[in-house]
Amino acid sequence: MEYIVLVITAVLVKNILLAQYLGNCPFLGTSKRMDTAIGMGVSVIFVMTIATAITWVVQYSVLVPLKLEYLQTIAFILVIAALVQFVELFLKKFAPPLYSALGIFLPLITTNCAIMGVALLVILKGQTFPEAVLFAVASGVGFTLALILLAGIRERLEVSAVPMALRGAASGLIMAGLMSLAFFGFVGVDGSLKALIQ
Amino acid sequence: MLEAGLFLLLLGLGCSIVLAFASRAFYVWEDPKVLAITDALPGANCGGCGNPGCASAAEAIAAGNSSASICVAGGFEVAQAVGEIMGETVEEREPEFSWTSCSYGVGKAEPRFTYNGASDCQAAVMLYGGSKVCPIGCIGLGTCVKVCQFGALSIGDDNLPLVDYNRCVGCGACVDACPKNIVSLTSQTKRIVSEYVTDECTAPCQRACPTGINIPGYINEIRKGNYEEALRVIKEKCPLPLICGYICPAPCELNCRRNLVDEGVAINPLKRFVADHEMAANKHIDPYKCADNEIKIAVVGGGSEGLTVSYYLARLGYQPTIYEAKPELGGILRYVIAEDRLPRHVLDHDIDGILKMGVEAQTNAVMGRDFSPFGLLKDGYDAVLIAGGGFDSRKILQDFQDKGDAAIPGVLMMLDFLAAIAQDHKIEVGKHVVISDAGIKTLEVARKCLELGAGKVTIVSDQPISSLPLEFQDSKALASDGIEIKAFSTIAAIGGIGDRMDRVAIEDRDLSGDIETKRSIIDADTLIISTGRLPEMAFVHAAGKPEVEGEKIRWQTIETFRTFPSDGQRGLLSSPEPGRISDSSAVVKSILSGRRLARALHQHFTDGVITPVLRLTCEASYVLDVSEIDGVSPSNRETPPVSDVEGDSKRVWIFPKELPGLDENKTTREAERCLRCGLICYEKNR
Repeated sequence: MEYIVLVITAVLVKNILLAQYLGNCPFLGTSKRMDTAIGMGVSVIFVMTIATAITWVVQYSVLVPLKLEYLQTIAFILVIAALVQFVELFLKKFAPPLYSALGIFLPLITTNCAIMGVALLVILKGQTFPEAVLFAVASGVGFTLALILLAGIRERLEVSAVPMALRGAASGLIMAGLMSLAFFGFVGVDGSLKALIQ
Repeated sequence: MLEAGLFLLLLGLGCSIVLAFASRAFYVWEDPKVLAITDALPGANCGGCGNPGCASAAEAIAAGNSSASICVAGGFEVAQAVGEIMGETVEEREPEFSWTSCSYGVGKAEPRFTYNGASDCQAAVMLYGGSKVCPIGCIGLGTCVKVCQFGALSIGDDNLPLVDYNRCVGCGACVDACPKNIVSLTSQTKRIVSEYVTDECTAPCQRACPTGINIPGYINEIRKGNYEEALRVIKEKCPLPLICGYICPAPCELNCRRNLVDEGVAINPLKRFVADHEMAANKHIDPYKCADNEIKIAVVGGGSEGLTVSYYLARLGYQPTIYEAKPELGGILRYVIAEDRLPRHVLDHDIDGILKMGVEAQTNAVMGRDFSPFGLLKDGYDAVLIAGGGFDSRKILQDFQDKGDAAIPGVLMMLDFLAAIAQDHKIEVGKHVVISDAGIKTLEVARKCLELGAGKVTIVSDQPISSLPLEFQDSKALASDGIEIKAFSTIAAIGGIGDRMDRVAIEDRDLSGDIETKRSIIDADTLIISTGRLPEMAFVHAAGKPEVEGEKIRWQTIETFRTFPSDGQRGLLSSPEPGRISDSSAVVKSILSGRRLARALHQHFTDGVITPVLRLTCEASYVLDVSEIDGVSPSNRETPPVSDVEGDSKRVWIFPKELPGLDENKTTREAERCLRCGLICYEKNR
């Protein structure tokens, strides 16, 4: 039951893009077309999950025992970067279709702040390993949801009469802001759900 | 401090060891050629080559599945660079470009409703197929412009796409994006061999013109004062504009939409004006000509049909040579039509224009006496065309049967056959006789052939068995006599070796299945044609290249024009009028035959098959049209002066020595009368 609350919180209430404002760069960069948005979303779910799992292990079995928690950020960057490279090589060899589908997105999100953010958040919250992995998956899904929604809006904007000055990134930013406002409607839902369980 | 540095060093080292190991363990071999080719390609990922992007195109090229010159966007330079990597030599291809067919944008064309939705053509078509009455009209929302990666398209002031031919690379992205098929990919070659189809924007005059000259197109050029460009438009479909300007019966003028208000535009005098303009300047405008290929073609007959086919073959890059029996080229134009109607210098000017395109001509060369089709094939020609045209084509068969080479061996006219029998002349038939068309005399001829020693007779009719006369329907009784009926079939080709015919290809007219399985080849050595005329025939090497068996060459004919049976014309000798793709009742009609012969040969040498034209525009086809027009005020048709020809205002010359044409002022005024029609659009407020 707690896990359900965790998922709903990560996807809707504290959406990584629209409530925590992490990863705005791909949010605007890859939301022009639906197919790139989906490709990016799937890649983020994939990388976010394994990156969080690995960094959780690095934190609790290397940094904490060695009392080197203050090196967390730099160590995570290094580990995530190496991990993405490794995954890319692995996919190229064993899953070429997946490699060509995720292709250009994988290196793009190597040091994306959303990935890094989730890895740091789970440590900050002191989550257990299963919680951390679930939170990462849910955050990835939340990221994909927001990206696909914005891509849908922007595809429509493309064929609408938008004033010349607002075309492209400008209207994209306005839409992102309005969506963020809309997602504020979920604030408090997590608290009520928790209360409901108790 | 130290431990932190040490830790990061170790972590970095660990990661690099893992990655080094992974890059070795998970190594995937990539062809260095693929990378090199990817670099050489433009990287636009336009998809014009048929691959999803440049990277997959590079893979296809490196794997040998695609030629080095598949990149349409990069053009010849990229093809050369890729060819260098692959170690291939690439030939320069004819460039393709986008062509937009609609000329009345939203705002000018007849609207059905006002569309105020998403500004995207594909979205707009979903609502009742677009806002125009015309089902093939441009919606003008510019989906083609959005997909063009080369900036070659824009939407002009009239809401129609404009193509910048300097930027267009011919990738075809716009063609795929346009939901109305307004944009198509074409090339000069494709335009020469094209035929109008029913779902294409054509004007009534254009459809009425037997050879399909783009009449609104050239009149528009005249209006703008571009006389040379107007002539270039005409020459796309008609190589004899001056001759047509003098003697064309001009069915276009009868179909001119202006007839609904006043009188048809003087289309033919306008054509004559630009052609006269060319003759007066004593030059020939040079239309587009493809790079020469090495294919040599002999054209038998130097009349309007032979001249036309040679002209278009030359423009398509072939090397045509005309063989004409008479001392000079021109055929009926020179030897039959009165000089008063068609002055000889007019004829010579147009013929000169054709010869200047690279056409060779040999006059006083009589088929059967001086050469035979098979002799020419053996002498290095790749194809021999018989464009007998309007003169009595039976002479080709008759006169030379006992002199030297047989002209077309084994082919007899039923008329000659019956005449020979009636006069008790000796006539020989082969072992297996094929007779085309089941008519009243056919069975009599068939029985006579059996009497004369034929082992078997096959009667081929393009009618279904149920609509044949009763005596043909008892196939058992006929079979016992040695006569076989092949109903609903057509003779597609004949073939043979040297001066002997030995096979006939018969094709089922029911084309509901695969075309290839409909053709059967039977061994036959005599063909009796039940029509008064010999059809146009094109002889080619049977194996695609010269194949000599004991000094003799193996040959076959190819079909000269092909549509689907519902359109009536098919095969060598097919209905509705057996034995002719040509119609020599007017010069413009034999020009059409000539152009179609060139089309057939071009398709034979490029694709290997003659493809049927689907939905060909013909008299019987339904084409959207208007029956009344509004907003057009009547104006008088300009006429050339008929009296006062030689300064005598009292005399009216019924047959003056040379009819004068329109002068420039009248031409401009007359060109202004043209409504620039489309399928249903026309210029209003004129």
